[in-house]
This record gives sequence, structure tokens and C-alpha cells, in this order.
Amino acid sequence: MRSRLKWGDFVIIAVVLLLAAALTAWFALGTTDGQLYAEVWQDDVLVERVKLTDETDREIDLDGHNVIVLAGKTARMESADCHDQVCVRTGTLTRAGQVAVCLPNRVILKIVGETSEIDAIVS
Amino acid sequence: MKRIFAAFSLLLILTGCAAKPSSYTADFFAMDTFMSITAYGADENMAQQAAFACEKQVNALEPALSRTREDSDLYRLNHADGAVCTVSDETYAAIEAAVQYAELTGGAFDPTMAVLTDLWGIGTEQAHVPAQSEIDAALAKVGYENIVLLGDNQVQLKNGAQIDLGGIGKGFATDAVADVLAGQSEGTVSGALVQLGGNIGAFGENPAREGGGWSIGVADPDDNADFIATVEVRDQSVVTSGDYERFFEQDGKRYHHIFDPATGYPADTGLRSVTVIDENSTRADALTTALFVMGLDKGMAFCAENSIAAVFVTSDKQVYTTDAVASACAYTFLGEDKGYSDAQQA
Amino acid sequence: MQPKKLTLCGMLTALAIVLSLAERLFPLDAIVPVPGVKLGLANVVTLFALTRLSVRDAVAILLCRVALSSLLMGSVTAFLFSLFGGLLALAVMGLLLRAEGKFCSVLGVSVAGAAAHNIGQIIAAVIWMKTGAVIAYLPLLLVMSVPLGLVTGLTAAVVLSHLQKIDFRV
Repeated sequence: MRSRLKWGDFVIIAVVLLLAAALTAWFALGTTDGQLYAEVWQDDVLVERVKLTDETDREIDLDGHNVIVLAGKTARMESADCHDQVCVRTGTLTRAGQVAVCLPNRVILKIVGETSEIDAIVS
Repeated sequence: MKRIFAAFSLLLILTGCAAKPSSYTADFFAMDTFMSITAYGADENMAQQAAFACEKQVNALEPALSRTREDSDLYRLNHADGAVCTVSDETYAAIEAAVQYAELTGGAFDPTMAVLTDLWGIGTEQAHVPAQSEIDAALAKVGYENIVLLGDNQVQLKNGAQIDLGGIGKGFATDAVADVLAGQSEGTVSGALVQLGGNIGAFGENPAREGGGWSIGVADPDDNADFIATVEVRDQSVVTSGDYERFFEQDGKRYHHIFDPATGYPADTGLRSVTVIDENSTRADALTTALFVMGLDKGMAFCAENSIAAVFVTSDKQVYTTDAVASACAYTFLGEDKGYSDAQQA
Repeated sequence: MQPKKLTLCGMLTALAIVLSLAERLFPLDAIVPVPGVKLGLANVVTLFALTRLSVRDAVAILLCRVALSSLLMGSVTAFLFSLFGGLLALAVMGLLLRAEGKFCSVLGVSVAGAAAHNIGQIIAAVIWMKTGAVIAYLPLLLVMSVPLGLVTGLTAAVVLSHLQKIDFRV
């Protein structure tokens, strides 16, 4: 048995490296580890579920009551017609597990993902 | 060869036993707030049943703790003009707990602030700063000493006092949910994360984290979607009271919802928030309010005396922890890049 | 089973376990935060068993090695990862060895085996952790498997050529 390299060896090495490159490219195109989704719930019903990528740029208008802005990998309650404005003041959500809640309109904006460094925020 | 395969399949079966549990999350609105209960169980069906049982318990408790529903015990009691009222077991237990914590904190937590909070109207569209004479009149009706517990579920309110259990209601519900979880049959529920408004209960094992603990972020008062510290807990409740939750502004000044029973004004003690970690969520709920009213120095002294685990955030961005924090949870300070400093480190 | 073959199988299993232990000197967990991920040095034993013994013996040695090394030091995850990684590496190397000499050398087989080992580990991690996120670490592991596979392949080639010289047969 000789250990001299054959052309097939280079093919094997090339295939392995190409597979690595392809996977890297695939992950670079948005499906990174800990993919984030923004969920919009109204009256206990899921009305929107949006995958958040760097290119995300969307505005969700819930009949003028609540306006939600999804920008890049973040989500925020842009405006609300309720008097307490708690949801708007919650600010920009960037991590899985974060929630902005509009109680008067029963609207929940939350970020869910596969991994998170925390399980909940107490506030 | 056959024997090897036999031994091998046995090993496979053994490892199969340690499979990851499934989870179910119930999100719902109750007690004027957003609630989320995630239960982990051997299969999704068991997890779902446990989460539903918890949701049911919270919904069942709501009328017992509400003072706004006209059919509730508290509404009846508050409008009885000082007559003796018989209330349900749950309502009586909650009032008893509230009085107990009012006594413990020397009235810094007081369950008879209803008249005063109604006067300020915080959280409603009529929020405004009342006249001093109005505040004085309302303060005359405040004082937990006006609650007379007569036993046998009988309660009497003196001097026009009105009870508001909002200060412990969510904590009381969290403890009730803990009982429901503990009462589930063996092996069905392995862990649960209960978020009732600002009250969090973390029970059993968290399958997503090594060591099984639950990592809870302490909110940044300036941006409460973010956090400035984490506490990793197990079978504990974590509760925060902060001036950022509900407030209104008038003539450029902020007025928040945590009132000092002594002055009738929002507590102005230089604190932004107080977080308490305690096995008893009702206690934690009452203590966050009381410690906020006491302020940093008195609050820290009170915690040292009663070995309470608490995290104080001041308006000059200092974060203080009490000695009991180290034994109650794994505390990690993370607020540096948000301009906060760990007061103990400095 | 002949005594000589049985002894050889036992020795190979022991060698594989020693290699599994040696792997722990390389804390791969530091780069790939999945507890239990291994380099796959023990693949050299599988490669040897496949060329000098039979597929059946190679599988038996692999299963013994995985079970014993997990009992000695492992967690459930380490067991699953070694099992999936080991079996997939064995399957790929077994297939490629049929073309060995014509299409490729032992080195290529070894590289393919190392890559398969890592793919197997990640498949096990995906099943165990119920998340596809760990696939993100696969490219790094694949790139690493090229030099690693060449080293194990060279080792195997040297050993095999020596055995050829002394006319070692089982």
C-alpha cells in the first residue's frame, strides 16, 4: 500500500473544502446561529411572524392603533394610540426573549429565537 | 458480535431516557397585565396541560384580588362603609399576607393606598397632581391599621380605608401557580418559567441551560427591553418595582406610581428600581415596593437585618446588591457599557 | 474468531480508547461550544481495521470503543457524538476504500473519514439539541478535518506499509 497522493485525494479535499465554503456562504446569507423572529400578537392571535435579517425593513400597521417597525435584526413599537405608551417606551428589542406589550390594545410584539442568553427580563 | 450488539442496544436505551423535555407557552392577559407561562414536561401534551392548569389558577384568582370588578369581594368590602364583610378564603389569605408585610416593613408597604392612587389617577387619562388638601384628605384614609381581621374570613375596614391588593396580587398569583406546579403528578412537569407582569417565578429545571438554572435579566430603568444584570435562580421568584413602569409628566416633572404612604407623593428617594429575589413571591412583591419607598440606606439596612436578597438601582446609575444576593442566586453585573457601575466594586 | 484476530481486535479497541483519551488534551470545546465534540483521532483505528480486517470487525471495534470510552469518561452527548461521528466515518471510509489505489490513496480516504466524522457529530448535536444552529460550526470543523485527516492518513499509511514489509496477515 503506497501513500502517494492520487488525483482522487485532491478531489476529496476539494469537496470537503467546498462543502465548508458553501455552508459558510449559506450561513452568511441570513440563517446565522440564533435566527431571530419578530412575532406580533393581537387579542391572543398571532398576526405576523417575520424572520429578522440584516435586510429586514418593514412597517406593520395594526389599523392605525399600533405601528410596529422592523429594522435589521431589531423590532420596536413605533407608535400606539393608547394613553400609557408603555409599549413605545419599552424601546428597541434586539434579543430573543424581549417583549413590548400594549395592554390597552392587547398587542404583543416579541422577539423569539433559538438561543438566548437570558430566559426573561424582570421589569 | 451478537453480545456486543445486545450490550450496545442496552446502552442506547439507557441514554434514550435522558431525552430533552418539550415545552408549551401560554400567553394571556389577566390582572390588567401580560402574562406568560412556559411549562416543560416529558411530552408536549403534559407541558400544555400544566401551562393551562396554571393559567386557570390565575384566572380563578383574578376576581378574588380585583377591587375594580363590581362583583368582587374587595369591591364589596371597600364599599361597605365600615361594616363587617365575609370574603372568600383566597381574598382573606391575601389580605392577611398584605397586613403581615405592612407590619414587617413598618408601613412602607401599605395595602390601603387605594384612595390615594385613585386620586392621582396614574395609568388613566385623568392622571394629574392633586391639590395638597386633597392629598391630606386621602392620606387620612390610608393606614393598614385600619384593616381589622376578625377571623373566619371576616374583615372590617375603619376610617374610610380601602384595600388595593395590586401591590401583592401578582406575587400572590405566582405563589398559587407554584402550588399548582408542585401539585402536578410526578414526572409530568420538569420545570416552568412564570411571568406575571413584573413578577417572575422560575421553578424546577431549565432544560435549555447547563446546570438547569433560569437566567433572569434585571431591566435597565432607561430602556427596560434591555438589562443591566442577570440573576440565575432556581425555585425562586424575582420581582422588580421601578419608577419607569407607569408614570405621567406634568410641568416637566415626572410622577411615578410608587407612592410613599407617609407623604402621599411618589416616593422620591433617588432610586430607579428595586429587585427582590425570594422564594415567596408575595413577600418579594410587597418588599420591592417597601424598599423603593424606604430608599437606599434604610432599604439596605432593612435587607441586612432580615437577610433579604435585593438589587437597588439608583438614579446616579449605581447598582447595589445586598449580602443575601450571593446565597440566593448567581448574580452577574452587565451594566458597564450602559453607564452603570457596580457600587460594591467601586 | 481465531485467537490471533480476537487479540488484534482487543488491542485495536484499547488503542482506540487511548486515542479517545488523548483527544481530550485538545479542548475542541473552546472553539466549538458544543460539549463533547472530538477531533476523531480514533478514526485511524477504524481505517486500519477496515483495510486489514473486515467491515464487521471494524464496526465491532468502533462500538466497543464508543461504549467503553463513554463509560470511562463520557457524558451522554459525548457518547452520541462519537457514535454518530464514528459510524458515518466508517461508512464513508468503507465505501472509498473499495476505490483505494485506483481513485485515491489512504490519505484521501482518511480526509473523507475525518470530514464524515465531523458531519456525524454535528448531526448528533442537531438531534440532541433540537436546533439547527450548531450547523454553523460545521464549516470550521470541515476545514480542520483536512489537515487532521492527512495526519491520521499518513500514520495509517506508514503503519500499513510496515505491516506489508513484515508480511503481517490475520
